[in-house]
Amino acid sequence: MNEEYLWDKSGKPDPQVQQLEEILGALRYQPRPLEIPRELVVARRRSYIPILMIAATVALALLAAGLWLRMQSQKTSPSSVVETKSTVAPGGIREDVPTPVVANDETLNQRPKKVSVRINHRNSSRNPLTASVSRVKKPREAGLKPNERQEAVIAKEQLMMALRLASEKLNLAQRRTQLSSPANLIRNQHKVG
Amino acid sequence: MYELEATADMLLRTPEAKTSIEPPGETTLEVVLVKAVLEGDRDVFGRLYDLYAPLVHGILLARVPRAEVDDLVQDIFLHALRKLHTLRDSAAFGPWIAMIARNRAMDFYRRSRDTVEVTEDLRSTDSSISRATEILDLIRGLPEAYRETLVLRLVEGMTGPEIAGRTGLTPASVRVNLHRGMKLLREKLGSREGL
Repeated sequence: MNEEYLWDKSGKPDPQVQQLEEILGALRYQPRPLEIPRELVVARRRSYIPILMIAATVALALLAAGLWLRMQSQKTSPSSVVETKSTVAPGGIREDVPTPVVANDETLNQRPKKVSVRINHRNSSRNPLTASVSRVKKPREAGLKPNERQEAVIAKEQLMMALRLASEKLNLAQRRTQLSSPANLIRNQHKVG
Repeated sequence: MYELEATADMLLRTPEAKTSIEPPGETTLEVVLVKAVLEGDRDVFGRLYDLYAPLVHGILLARVPRAEVDDLVQDIFLHALRKLHTLRDSAAFGPWIAMIARNRAMDFYRRSRDTVEVTEDLRSTDSSISRATEILDLIRGLPEAYRETLVLRLVEGMTGPEIAGRTGLTPASVRVNLHRGMKLLREKLGSREGL
């Protein structure tokens, strides 16, 4: 038996296979035209490319929105972080420090303005040099108008003058008290001879 | 059939046709034809029918009565045309339609069991046809794997490599099926003092 002939009709023909081919060839397919009905509709293959493109666009938009929101939150976060740190941070001690205040006559008897400075002692204990002063209120003088500033300067000069006068008066009084008690001076002197 | 195949091959090998029809990266004729049909050119399906009708005919002939085969071939191709958009790999048109044919043959027996028993007594008066039908009956008595391959080889005149290419089977398995099937057929023919 020639296997090659059975496989691809090459080589020496196998008589038995040839005979079978001849007999069974009578049943071979006889070409007949395909009658396609007119009403038959050929469905088109669905393309997933537009759907994928829409999905990719939506995903990209979401990503961009997410990034934008994150950037926005980072921009606003430093002050809010400090705020929360100063009010909530454990171990933080509130210290009141007087601010330099320019006083006029009316404000002489008033208590100095106080500004709250919050120092995070936890951080300062680690690195005192970089102790974070969380927040310092701006002095009110910063917002003064020129005429108000001028009044403040005049008031300051008057105050300085008053302080100088008071100081001179105190010195004079001290000297008088020292002169009015010579016994004390004799008592303090050592006997000579 | 082979003239059509040769024409199709020549079309693919012609440089002008290759640049105009064949998309880059797709080499088989089936891909081009299936794509054309899906784009709305229904007449191109006739060429697919011409190429694959012998395969479908052979698959059916190995399973169902001969008188039913021609109508079933038409039905199967019309069904394939309706469902062509579901074919994912256009190059696998052959294995796909072969599977449809096998399924349709099984359906035929399921339906005929409920209705009328179909027998193969529509014997032709032609002696050559009757002889062929007798041998075909012997082939149908063989295991399923062998009978389809033998019918495609001995009835439809396809070579082993062609059978492998059209059905999607590996050449090695087609070769084994042909060899073992032929051996069994010889034994059956010898016992019946045929040939």
